[in-house]
Amino acid sequence: MKSFQEQLAKLEAADTQVLGVSMDSPFSNKAWAESIGVTFPLLSDWGGDTTRKYGLYNPSYKAPRRATFLIGKDGKVLEVHLDKTAVDPHNVVQACERHKLSK
Amino acid sequence: MQMFRHAMLAAALGAACVAGMAQDKKPAPPEPTVKVGDVASDFKLTDQNGKDVNLADFRGKKNVALAFYVFAFTGG
Repeated sequence: MKSFQEQLAKLEAADTQVLGVSMDSPFSNKAWAESIGVTFPLLSDWGGDTTRKYGLYNPSYKAPRRATFLIGKDGKVLEVHLDKTAVDPHNVVQACERHKLSK
Repeated sequence: MQMFRHAMLAAALGAACVAGMAQDKKPAPPEPTVKVGDVASDFKLTDQNGKDVNLADFRGKKNVALAFYVFAFTGG
């Protein structure tokens, strides 16, 4: 999530709100956000209902699969990135450019 | 007879190797059920400051990069 923080200005310029989601508790998310300087929301999907709703629950790790969804203002999914592609936030910055997202 | 024994041994070893490899193989990762063009499922989740966030709150206002990560205190 630290690398997403580094791209935050570019994503904000594309009128895009970053939301992190994991199955961690709000308490560990708070400690982690403070330790790496993340200012955007890190959401706690404690129990994994949302992770399951998105089809991302990985029983091998009892945690979500790494995935980034770019969602337009109409609520529709524009792009889905998985694993290594999802880890690198440059990919979502480029996706914003592809879809001409701006303020 | 000796040759037959060797052949049997080789076959048994081969079978053991194949079985071992099959055990090492991880189950396929889950495939996302929310796809391009779908309306992203709404949720209400709590952020690190105890504030509730609804995905629907951004509708008509902001695009959203929704980044699922595996665990806090790990890379990515």
